[in-house]
Amino acid sequence: MRDYLIIYVNGKSYEIGGARAFQTLSNFLRYDIALTGTKVVCAEGDCGSCTVLIGQPDGESITYRPVTSCIQFLYQLDGTHIITIEGLHYDNQLNPIQQAMVRCHGAQCGFCTPGFVVSMCSLFNERRNLDERSLRAGLVGNLCRCTGYESILRAGLEVPRHELHRFDELYPTSQLLPQLTRAAGDPVRVEVQTSTARDLSPSPGTAGEGGGEGSSSPTTNRTFFKPTTIAQAVQFKSLNPTATPVAGATDIGVQVNKSIRDPQIILALTSIPELRTIALDNNTLSIGALATLGEIERRTEELCPEFAKMLWRHGSPLIRNAGTLGGNIANGSPIGDTMPALMVMSAEVELTGATGPRRVNMNDFYVGYRKSVLQPDEIITRVFMPLPKPGDIFRLYKLSKRHDLDISSFTAAFYMRLEDDVISDLRIAYGGVGPMIYRLRKTEAALKGKPFTPAEVDTAAEIALTEISPITDMRGSREYRLQLAANILKKFHAEVTGEHTYDRTTPPSRPTLNISRAGGNGNGKAV
Amino acid sequence: MSIVGQNIPHDSAVGHVSGQSLFLDDVAPLRAELLVDVVGSPVAHGEIVSINLDEARKLPGVVALFTHKDVPGHNHIGPVLKDEDLLVEKTAQFVGAPIVLIAAETRAAIAAAKKAITIDFKPLPAIFSIDQALAADSFLSPERIIQRGDINSAFASAKNILEGSLTTGGQEHFYLESQIALAYPGEGNTLTVHSSTQHPSEVQMMVAEVIGIPFNHVTCICKRMGGGFGGKETQAAQPAAMAALVAHLTKRPARLALSKDDDMRITGKRHPFKGFYRVAFDDEGRILALDLKLYANGGFSLDLSSAVFERALLHADNAYYIPHFSASGRICKTNLPSNTAFRGFGGPQGVINIENILEEIALKLNLDALDVRRRNMYGAPRLSPSPGNPGEGRGEGLPPSHDNLTTPYGQLVTNNTLPQLFTELPERCDYHARRKHIDSFNATSRTMVKGMSLTAVKFGISFTRRAMNQANALVNLYQDGTAIVSTGGTEMGQGVNTRIRQLVADDLGISYDKVIVAATATDKNNNTSPTAASSGTDLNGAAALDACAKLRARLAVVASSMLGNVNDGLNPEPGYVAFDNNTVFDARNPRKKISFKDLCCQAYELRVNLGERGFYATPGVDYNRETGKGHPFLYFTNGVACAEVVIDRFTGDYRVTRVDLLMDIGQSINPGIDRGQIVGGFIQGMGWCTTEELRYAPDGQLQTHSPTTYKIPDISDVPEIFNVHTIDNPNSTVSLKKSKAVGEPPLLLGACVFTAIKNALSYAAPGTIPPLSLPATPEEVLMTLTRLGALARTPATVR
Repeated sequence: MRDYLIIYVNGKSYEIGGARAFQTLSNFLRYDIALTGTKVVCAEGDCGSCTVLIGQPDGESITYRPVTSCIQFLYQLDGTHIITIEGLHYDNQLNPIQQAMVRCHGAQCGFCTPGFVVSMCSLFNERRNLDERSLRAGLVGNLCRCTGYESILRAGLEVPRHELHRFDELYPTSQLLPQLTRAAGDPVRVEVQTSTARDLSPSPGTAGEGGGEGSSSPTTNRTFFKPTTIAQAVQFKSLNPTATPVAGATDIGVQVNKSIRDPQIILALTSIPELRTIALDNNTLSIGALATLGEIERRTEELCPEFAKMLWRHGSPLIRNAGTLGGNIANGSPIGDTMPALMVMSAEVELTGATGPRRVNMNDFYVGYRKSVLQPDEIITRVFMPLPKPGDIFRLYKLSKRHDLDISSFTAAFYMRLEDDVISDLRIAYGGVGPMIYRLRKTEAALKGKPFTPAEVDTAAEIALTEISPITDMRGSREYRLQLAANILKKFHAEVTGEHTYDRTTPPSRPTLNISRAGGNGNGKAV
Repeated sequence: MSIVGQNIPHDSAVGHVSGQSLFLDDVAPLRAELLVDVVGSPVAHGEIVSINLDEARKLPGVVALFTHKDVPGHNHIGPVLKDEDLLVEKTAQFVGAPIVLIAAETRAAIAAAKKAITIDFKPLPAIFSIDQALAADSFLSPERIIQRGDINSAFASAKNILEGSLTTGGQEHFYLESQIALAYPGEGNTLTVHSSTQHPSEVQMMVAEVIGIPFNHVTCICKRMGGGFGGKETQAAQPAAMAALVAHLTKRPARLALSKDDDMRITGKRHPFKGFYRVAFDDEGRILALDLKLYANGGFSLDLSSAVFERALLHADNAYYIPHFSASGRICKTNLPSNTAFRGFGGPQGVINIENILEEIALKLNLDALDVRRRNMYGAPRLSPSPGNPGEGRGEGLPPSHDNLTTPYGQLVTNNTLPQLFTELPERCDYHARRKHIDSFNATSRTMVKGMSLTAVKFGISFTRRAMNQANALVNLYQDGTAIVSTGGTEMGQGVNTRIRQLVADDLGISYDKVIVAATATDKNNNTSPTAASSGTDLNGAAALDACAKLRARLAVVASSMLGNVNDGLNPEPGYVAFDNNTVFDARNPRKKISFKDLCCQAYELRVNLGERGFYATPGVDYNRETGKGHPFLYFTNGVACAEVVIDRFTGDYRVTRVDLLMDIGQSINPGIDRGQIVGGFIQGMGWCTTEELRYAPDGQLQTHSPTTYKIPDISDVPEIFNVHTIDNPNSTVSLKKSKAVGEPPLLLGACVFTAIKNALSYAAPGTIPPLSLPATPEEVLMTLTRLGALARTPATVR
């Protein structure tokens, strides 16, 4: 068993052991190897300044995805290739994307710029022919406070496509792939005692490793284990029931950085190939717990567009490239975006413990605020999602202060069947209205067997309000959430009955941004 | 071709896009460098009973812990009044008020020390809102007023009167680089402080005063900031003073970098305001009299609140002539961090009130708000008084010379481009056709509602404190013909360095790449003004040009003797020497050229001084804040913008579908950089009006202290159609190269998004004036729809 990590950065390999293995990727880049182009602002994955590319073996190639490095721990990244802003130039020259950003004034203060450049390089690596809509969708995870984004969009549209190189031309797959595959295939275990007298990460953005709960004592013991099979993972979990399973770390990363949690024993599920697979079987999508939200989004775009559309608003592309469906379920937030959908679809979650796997319906999974039936010796291994059949009406809603990259104030999911204009089946789930996601059983019962009419919907809206207990917090007042809870039923009705309603979730179909060329200062000319 | 006016990329752009630009946290640690952090008050108002540091001192890695007792100089600080404690002595006045400084070798030790330090408080009653402060008579300042005419008699005779109020929220700067400073001790009690600051001289002075050393012992350097927006005008000084204090007391380098959460929790923001107004107007919507009372939430100390408030009053007229005018009010003292400068500096709060009032007048009279605004703008065509004319009362009782171009504070609006802007934008954006389309859309849709509004800005350029309207610059030439310019201007992304490079290169007739703008440092430029009030280029650029002019004069003497030749009949005449394209020649014989480099070499040989100081003081500006009269601004930057929105009547969700923006920024020094300022400023203003909401728990804890909960606009919020244009104005003769300051004014145009939402809501509830507060979040919009009974109605039947 290896007791150190192997991680490649800009083509160069690093062996990292001891306490350093427990730090975030951004801290490692900035403070251990002085790649300070990667900036840290929020330390919670919500601004994109720390965006880097993570390359993972994917069959015969290496797939690179942009992620926020502030909430990625090194121990998740064994056997990966990281490309940072410093590794994106061509022969010591600015690449065409960087040149366009310079030319179009895409940078002002420059603090967000490396993150934007990395994200944009990734978008162009996937697809040369990017239109404005794709640029907007691809860059919602990167915040800029100076430019108002217009110049960045313009830069993206002005990139000379034919001059672009793919990442595998900069970092040949033939050389890297065998090395990454070999490293990913090894189990790794690191045990360490850390002290407040030694520090690894003088980061301003984070409390730092050892900054969390229970670390007021000068020394802390930490263990991390990266299994390569489910059996190894489950065995470790039974022996260490307090171990924290880590997949994408988009929640745990924030909690560690903000001193909310400080897991001492970590089970990194990141190198178990069978947990990554997504398969379609008998109209049910079987999703490995390690499949990222981004992978599921791409997979459901045609299979279940309504689900894909909801995922499209889940965090940002940077979050979805790291965050997993299994992690979203395990985290169990009452405002988690996927759960209402999974509940009305009657999805099942597979939990695997020492005695083997069992399946639990999502409607029975949660028992209270962030509490579930998951036992300490179990891990989530798969999710089985029955897809809506022809004739099923399936609608998802998310309301948030900002449309994109925001946590919901309120979510709703509807699954309905109409027979002769009469509701024959109905499932409704609301999020953001109490300590957990609620199924609205009374409302469902009141509508079942009734015609789907405005009057019935109005009555049902009244009942819905009796089934929820929203609170006032920074995302919205109780009154706001109650009003949404009633209105969303009416909106659902309007949509189903074919009325033209407001829907911003679909990005604008035609790029319409008026991109005036930078010119002089004459009468009426654009500046 | 002149370098001024060219679209040259930002002078740090290459470094920014490649990750090579160094920000302060990117600077490698110095030998034995200490990390500094702050333990702040957990309560909004409380008296410190005891502080126990014993356990924390024992922790490995903790080097020192300091309280106010360790401050060798002055612990009482503040840019205007010394009404703050650097480290709280007795009473904490806001959540996060700094009490103990931790100096440690590791981040882990700091985290452990924070847990080990215990502070006991005797809690005191706390107030947070303007309403609470008004009830408690809690103020930071006396009343200020700007008035003209006789509002009482105007109201007495007016046919139409509206009353109302407007609540506007604060705004977090959200500069991406949080407050940071690095200080290290030098010989003999000197200190060097690197600070991410808009005001190096302020940092220099505060550090010196806190430590108790002369100003000349402290050098403050600022290479660049990762954004400022006003948030680093005064409030970069406290972190710098703390780092300097640790460096001074421990004799080790010390760096303090606030986390984003702590920065948002403990630093000041844009001032929340509440405005109470009464307005009298004729049947065509012309304002006859305005009585506006403004109250600002200043937080616990004055900081720059008096100047911010003054600018709010000075912009309460905005682009509109109001014959009988009174704007007055006070700054409230509350138990929040001290609110401070933020791009616009009170201007947005003044402007949003009058724009909101104009929108309401239009609703009241059932007129298009654009027509109402045009009738009220400065320089609107005058009506001839006649008995039947409702506009007759305008200007009554005022001196005959008093036309509709004089502001309530007495400054004449010259080079007034507002009428042109108000004519041109509606045409460009097809306002009237779109208005018809919106009317018919709203008449048929029961699920959505659209709205549109066009607002203006007339932003006064100059510091209202007269002394701050000065700058000095140092220009050094070297024997290879290159130049280094140093000014007090600080680079926060806005491009001041790029513009100064252009100005200097242009003036000396050398190419842009021969000029470097050095990091701002107080040992090169003394007593500098903050880079603020949109004046960075105006002031520092003018000072640099003054230095260049003096250098050219000396070099012309040298050059004339190199170029002139008595035999050719051309006596050396310095007055004919011209500088262009890296060469120097006699204008009477342009074919004979010498290189600028050779001229510099020759000047050195002849012992002619190749360095020069320049100085600039804005002429003519003055303002008496006691009387509310004067000529506070050198000129005005004007603009108009029109926004269209569509609202979901079920959820209050909305989007801005189109924005058209037209500005007068004079003759641009750098069109690309100016466009960036216009677009960035507008979107920031839109954020203030829409999604940027500061929410506090009942105990005063900020709940929205990171981007997860505090929502600045992101790329998908940029309007789908976004047209940005400028007019040609060659007549701004008072300003630098006929350019106009552009940093703040476009932010104020974000107001049109707020009024567009209000306009949309008015369609949903015809005959009402929607009571909308700012920010108009989806929640605020939905709750307003609910209050108005204007939600999407259930249709009678299923289709």
